[in-house]
Amino acid sequence: MLSYLMRRVAGTIPVIVLISLLVFLLIHAAPGDPADLLLSDEATAQDIAEARARWGLDQPIYIQYLRFLINALQGDLGISFRYADPVINMITDRLPATVELAIASILIAIVLGVPLGVWAGAKPNSWADNFGSFFGFFGISMPNFWFGIMLILIVSGYFNWLPSAGRNTYGVPGEEITGLYILDSLITGNWAAAWDGLRYIIMPAVALGTNMMGILMRVTRSSVLEVMHEDYVRTARAKGLDEHDVLWHHVLRNALVPIITVVGLELGTLLSGSIIVETVFSWPGSGSLLIAAIQARDYPLITGTVLTYTVAFVVINFTVDILYAVIDPRIRFDK
Amino acid sequence: MIPKKSVMKQFAAATIAGTALVGLSAVSQPTTAATQVTIGVTETIASFNPLADSISMGYAIWCQVYGCLGRYDFNKADYVPMLADHWEVDKKDPKIWTFYLKKGLKRQNDGKELTADDVVHSFKRVLTDPQSRQKQNIAPVKEMVAVDKYTVRVITKAPTAPLLEYLFDRFIITGKDLFDKYGQREVDRKAPWGWGPYKLKDLQVGQRIVLEKDAANPSIKPENPDILIYNIMREPEQRVTALLNGEIQIAQFIPPHLAQRVKEAPNVKLEPVGSVEIMFLAMMPKVKPWDNQKLRQAVCYAIDKDAIIKNVLQGQADRLDGPIGQGQYGYDADYAKKNLAMPYDPAKAKELVKESGYKGGVVYLDTPVGRYIDDKQITEAMIPMLNAVGINAKLRTPEWATLWSDVQKGKTPFYYMGRGSVVDPSVALSQYFETGISPRIGLSDPAVDKALQKERVTFDPAERKKALNAAFKAIVDSAAGCFMWRHNFLYGVAKSVDYKPDPGMRIFGSEIKVQ
Repeated sequence: MLSYLMRRVAGTIPVIVLISLLVFLLIHAAPGDPADLLLSDEATAQDIAEARARWGLDQPIYIQYLRFLINALQGDLGISFRYADPVINMITDRLPATVELAIASILIAIVLGVPLGVWAGAKPNSWADNFGSFFGFFGISMPNFWFGIMLILIVSGYFNWLPSAGRNTYGVPGEEITGLYILDSLITGNWAAAWDGLRYIIMPAVALGTNMMGILMRVTRSSVLEVMHEDYVRTARAKGLDEHDVLWHHVLRNALVPIITVVGLELGTLLSGSIIVETVFSWPGSGSLLIAAIQARDYPLITGTVLTYTVAFVVINFTVDILYAVIDPRIRFDK
Repeated sequence: MIPKKSVMKQFAAATIAGTALVGLSAVSQPTTAATQVTIGVTETIASFNPLADSISMGYAIWCQVYGCLGRYDFNKADYVPMLADHWEVDKKDPKIWTFYLKKGLKRQNDGKELTADDVVHSFKRVLTDPQSRQKQNIAPVKEMVAVDKYTVRVITKAPTAPLLEYLFDRFIITGKDLFDKYGQREVDRKAPWGWGPYKLKDLQVGQRIVLEKDAANPSIKPENPDILIYNIMREPEQRVTALLNGEIQIAQFIPPHLAQRVKEAPNVKLEPVGSVEIMFLAMMPKVKPWDNQKLRQAVCYAIDKDAIIKNVLQGQADRLDGPIGQGQYGYDADYAKKNLAMPYDPAKAKELVKESGYKGGVVYLDTPVGRYIDDKQITEAMIPMLNAVGINAKLRTPEWATLWSDVQKGKTPFYYMGRGSVVDPSVALSQYFETGISPRIGLSDPAVDKALQKERVTFDPAERKKALNAAFKAIVDSAAGCFMWRHNFLYGVAKSVDYKPDPGMRIFGSEIKVQ
């Protein structure tokens, strides 16, 4: 197991370096000059030249990349052109909001998608299956930015149930421990802040999690359908076990491997999906930061944020691989 | 057989709990304090450094916190003092301006008095701060000198009649002593104190900016809001929804297609304001076929501005006859109508196309998308108008970053663009139409250059207005730009708040009254 872990960790390094190179080259190849975009309308040619020199953009591209790589290895992702702050600080400031949103979305997706899938898979071609499949397809086919705007219009605009934008009400949040507002509020017993955070997170989390809910529902359904016909399920029933126990203890556990795989893969997709949803809901996470960075051609911030997403994606998949062995003891990595 | 109990029960419970949760939230909406006004805005400032931005929003925030020498008052159509008490230009040497500061102005938090040293320090800081994006605001200034505690002498590189256009609303005055104490990296976070009417209470970049009233400031009134929150909301739907919900009290930039929702709502009102952002079509005379003046003129006559204003913009724009309109410095309605207007005349446009010898090659009109109100729809409407007079125009919609970068480098021959904050038009017109100032249009017309240079050195207001109008005429004759309209910006304002928007797009707490 240990050698497997070492091999996997070693294997991720070239992936991360290659992606950083790709992102670096692509963003530099994209049309649009940061100096033109970030200086004011009245900036002179000299102002623009000075800014380019200050940001190192007058250097050859390979020098710029090598500098970035060397600094990144030391934990320095550079200074944002637009915000003039260290990129690493900006990402660590904004990442908790994105993580909180991703967690809430995945909770919604799992809590709704898995039971719907189990329900549909356990009773194929019934109304329950049709009901579950409807929600599954709804989730899969709904563009999250459109769904987000519809939620704003209906839930906030029509019913006035939830706030339409932001992460909290000014003056409400309490002490910051992890950066996850709701968790911090619960830890400190600040119920008003927890409630406030919950009200703000529901709509973006639903908009973001619905797609994953649909996918999870479909995967769970097919996985349950497959397992339902296995011998051990028949044996469990023959032993006289309650159908509830058969379904939740024997069927679902054996159907979990593909579900976990999808959750892992989709968690990465959730991070990228949050880029749009955060913009729609003015959610102050790293996704909206990335959008602003792309619009301003803020090279260090774009590269740093994408690199963070890459690392997160690699770590998630790595964790999922480890989880396989926990869920299914038959899986061994050393062999 | 699957018993019906488990999953269905869990679903029912979850649904009930969810409904209860959401329903409860409707009851427990946070109440807004009577003296707190929240504004849904579209821009964010980049950092605590007041020099790190060059956008209207940033200037408005920092002028309120630190203070500016003065502002342009659209109601008075003149410059009014803020930290400066008054100013004068030396009659013998028009390169020397003297600004007299208000006496006894106390800084927020520590009560330190504003002095000429602070102004001189601010000038030097704009020049030397590596984060400064405001050097252009002091570009005409050669030197600033403290004459005494309350007097600053400003020496310009050349006589510059529109100097106030550069400095007012934009030149932020920061404290020298605080800079010396904390240093450039720390000062703005540790001591964001100034002489403006509002104190910086909280800044979360990309989320919100919170200002708190400095009740001791002489320019503040009791009815001005105690707390001013600028919430960043980029989506128009979101701003309108939040306004109707009562989450915010002022919503910036409501697009015409959402105006009806605001109009029909009982607790909010629609406040239109004519902007000072001039919208125009630009053609680069250095690039074929735009090197032909007649073809450029044909474009100007081919566009039915009134039809676009009526049908696309739903009346929410003012047509421009010439580069500027009502309320902007130097505007003369009679002169504009007689000498600058290029009314819709497709027959004349066709004739000009014929005379130009244009062979019918494709010309691309580049437009931003979502940068300006209905920009794509407007330019889509222009294409058939151009086609109708024989110009084979097609529309291109590059991403803003690409378009703007190309325009800055003079790589976009034909484009739709806006130029904001045009109070005194001298700077903006020079930037686009004077030889060698920027490659955006690349016009080189001695008549335009001469007229622009003349207006800059003419200090007598009446004479300067004449000189400006001569410059407008030269620019219109060159036809390197066709001036279209100024959008009427629509603001949604809660009826509990009394606020008339500023054409300069700057929202000041001292102009908001809570009823």
